[in-house]
Amino acid sequence: MDALVVLIPLLPLLAAAIIGIGHLSGLLTGEGSENTTADIAVWAITLSCLHTLILLGADILAKNTGAFSVGQWLVSDSLIIRLNFITTGFNAKLAALFSILLVIVSRFSVNYMHRETGFHRFYFVLCLFASAILLLVLAGNAVVTFIGWEIAGVCSFLLIAYAYDRPVAIANATRVFVTNRIGDAGFITGIGLCYVWIDTVNWGKVNASASILTPGQASGIALCFAIAAFAKSAQLPFTPWLARAMEGPTPSSAVFYGAVMIHAGGFLVIQLQPIFEQAPFPMLLLAVTGFATALYSTFVGLTQTDVKSSLVFATTGQLGLMFLECGLGFWQLASWHLCAHAVVRGYLFLTSPSMMYVTQDNPIKPVPPFISQMRWAYVASLQRLWLDQITDWALVKPILRLAQDMYYFDDYIVDRFMGAPAPAIQAISSLAQQEEKSFGTDLENDSNEFAKGTGLAGKLTEWTSAIVHWFEERWMVQSVSKTSHGTARKLAIAANQVERLIFRPRYLVLFVFITLMVAF
Amino acid sequence: MGILSILLWTPAVGALLLVLIPGQRSGIIQIIANLVTTLVFILACWLAALYDHHDAGLQFSEYFPLNPVLGSAYALGVDGISMPMLVLASFLTSISLLASVSISSSVKGYYICMLLLEFGMLGVFLAQDWALFYIFWEVTLIPLFFLIGRWGGKRKHTASLNFVLYTMGGSIFMLLSLLAISQYDLEHAGSLMTSMHLAAKDMPRYEQILVFLGFLIGFGVKMPIFPLHGWLPLAHVEAPSPVSILLSGILLKMGAYGLIRSVAMLPEAALTLQSLLVFLALFSMLYGGLLAWRQNDLKAMVAYSSVSHMGIVLLGIATLNETGLMGAVIQMTAHGLVAGALFLLVGLLYERTHTRNVQDYSSLVQVMPRFALFMTITLLATMGLPGSIGFIAELHTIIGGFQQWGWLWLFFCLSFLINAAYAIRTIGLLFTGPVKPHMQHIPDLSRYELLAAGSMSAGIVFFGFWPTALIDLSASTIAQLNSLIMLRGL
Repeated sequence: MDALVVLIPLLPLLAAAIIGIGHLSGLLTGEGSENTTADIAVWAITLSCLHTLILLGADILAKNTGAFSVGQWLVSDSLIIRLNFITTGFNAKLAALFSILLVIVSRFSVNYMHRETGFHRFYFVLCLFASAILLLVLAGNAVVTFIGWEIAGVCSFLLIAYAYDRPVAIANATRVFVTNRIGDAGFITGIGLCYVWIDTVNWGKVNASASILTPGQASGIALCFAIAAFAKSAQLPFTPWLARAMEGPTPSSAVFYGAVMIHAGGFLVIQLQPIFEQAPFPMLLLAVTGFATALYSTFVGLTQTDVKSSLVFATTGQLGLMFLECGLGFWQLASWHLCAHAVVRGYLFLTSPSMMYVTQDNPIKPVPPFISQMRWAYVASLQRLWLDQITDWALVKPILRLAQDMYYFDDYIVDRFMGAPAPAIQAISSLAQQEEKSFGTDLENDSNEFAKGTGLAGKLTEWTSAIVHWFEERWMVQSVSKTSHGTARKLAIAANQVERLIFRPRYLVLFVFITLMVAF
Repeated sequence: MGILSILLWTPAVGALLLVLIPGQRSGIIQIIANLVTTLVFILACWLAALYDHHDAGLQFSEYFPLNPVLGSAYALGVDGISMPMLVLASFLTSISLLASVSISSSVKGYYICMLLLEFGMLGVFLAQDWALFYIFWEVTLIPLFFLIGRWGGKRKHTASLNFVLYTMGGSIFMLLSLLAISQYDLEHAGSLMTSMHLAAKDMPRYEQILVFLGFLIGFGVKMPIFPLHGWLPLAHVEAPSPVSILLSGILLKMGAYGLIRSVAMLPEAALTLQSLLVFLALFSMLYGGLLAWRQNDLKAMVAYSSVSHMGIVLLGIATLNETGLMGAVIQMTAHGLVAGALFLLVGLLYERTHTRNVQDYSSLVQVMPRFALFMTITLLATMGLPGSIGFIAELHTIIGGFQQWGWLWLFFCLSFLINAAYAIRTIGLLFTGPVKPHMQHIPDLSRYELLAAGSMSAGIVFFGFWPTALIDLSASTIAQLNSLIMLRGL
């Protein structure tokens, strides 16, 4: 039964490839082929879901060996990265749950996305995401998990920027992606530390060797993965990205930020339970951050007036509680909490468009009077505790200023030395110049106008290439033409003349005579 | 008749079949030619699937004595170096036939020439007898002469004449070298590669060097190595673009392939001339790169970049260690795919606009998004971006060379920088910039073109992410070759 696990991420990936290629080649475009695209996607994800269920059943019946390896992907000295999967335990259960949720969302989207301009694009990304998240959950080593982790991140970026003609959507998508990159840095460092200290990247071996690690080493590894988890699951101080991510279409919000992807951080921490248990400080950090996020989300959530925003803060609050549970050592509770929350939040997000309709006669309860008296708290909550602004002030602005300084350095020092890339705008600056180009010059001319460099290195390249060009033209191209058309022709003419002389009758007769004389 | 013979003779039989069909039925001719090349490609893939990559020696060998007096034989076989080349040759021929739809004059002759060309190319990679190798080497010349001279561009006659004269000149040196070796081959009395390799051992050292120089000239013309590349820019620019695909994709590899074979035959001479090889390789890389940077003609740019990239192959060979040789073999496949894709795309663009001057283009991404996708992937692979097959090849060559020499690698990096400069500049000029009215009505890639360009790009990216398939195919043969060099050279 273990081998089935390969098909689980592969089927949605194939569906994504088919939709992608179909869309690229113009076979799947417009409203007419919406059904085809949706069928491909829904069937692929459903089949993949069936496989996860079979896998789960086999696991419950104890038919799985626990691991399955497809083969080696990369071998370099002692670093061996296999394409391997975990087929038992929490991974199998979570994969089954996530795939069911994915099926529901993909089916839901058929009607919801009907006649949207990017229908095919949406399903392409959804399939790719399904493949990535199932790979993430089932992967047997850190690198393959990271591949899933990254593809899921890119899919999230693509769906937040779904309406890419709107600048706000683009800005939010970029912000979310960049915030997540901080977590990715933690993830990569974690993989590196695992390899350095334990000499393996396999989750099973990493967890098995937790006991031989010193607390310092365990803390190092745990800390790196904790940062990755915080970023992905929108814990403090990364929480604000989640609110920005609501830019995408609702089904994507449901599947990414309600049901599935947002839980990847929690999953990662639960997966590394043995390592975390060796590391007291990261455990404390988990608890503190989780608790702080829960408090923060509750506080900010009180003043949210639209459905999606309040759902966002409810989500981060619940995730904070999960991290708190992990930090306190209630791993079993945290994993149950994660599964239950995925179901509930997925449902809430999917129903959020009709929420106002459903709650028409059931107004939201006002906050208790002792809180409603605190005006400063109201402002603070509305401003989301100025977390975005603080990040801007503490990180974005200094980096921007640094970038400006670098730009200056680049402009005045590096460019003078290396040369500036010519902007495409300057390629043709006026219509007249363009006319001149299209009528006046012939294509065979020396490309002196074209190959221009600036700066020291650019000029150096320009001059060298000019010399080389001269050499090439003079000795390589022309000399050959000259030989084949000059000298050779002269030779040929001479040979022709000799031949003509020889074949004149008198010489021929003479020739015959000489031959006869020699013969006798 | 073994599978190799079937593979080899299928295009020839296809060409014969085309002879029987009247020239007016161009549709049928196209279909048959495409079917034949597809069949050859499938056969080659099947062969690759059957091929046992743990076995370093020759596989599927076939032997039939042709001339017992001279000892020449019809001997075929594949090993880890020729296997990827076979698949590449059959793949690129299929692609170039897909791209030949626009050929409208004397279709019959064109397709016969293309099939004969494929026959010759496959023969070169399959032959295990130097006499047979030489015959096939010359067989490729004839169809190419007609293909360039008949269906080429403005200066097609000069181009085809130059090409043939250069290659013939080079092959005279190759023939002389072969004759020189066969002098020592009295007891074996044959021109089989294996027996010639044994014979070469008995030669005095200076003769070995002379013979190797002969091979270097013969194969260097084809490859091309710096002072012998005079035919290349003209032939590549003037040839119709499907022929350019084959010319840069396979014909250049024939030179590199022959050079690897002659290094295996004369390792001592290769070690003696190692510094010359390295110098020529680095010089070719920089020379080709600089000239490519200077060209505003897209096809000329790709042609000169070929000189630069084949310099990497020569450099890999010149390292004479396992990693470097592996780099050379991968770079042969990489360059076949990348240069083939570039010529294909540039040719398709030229068909639509009838200008090859890169400065005439601007903002194409708006009208030709599919073209832009594939062109960008290919140009990024040209500069060896990680995730493309070019990276794998260049990385192997760098590592192989770094084991051998340290500081020389500065030049290597310089040539990468130049490659990146013109690749990025081309992307910028083609796809960004102000919108030009006369570039607003260019049709995007059609379905066949999409298939051709898509499968090339897929190959580039696939082997970039999963190079093991390619490395495993050649690894054992290269390890054996390397041990041979170590054994004989030291």
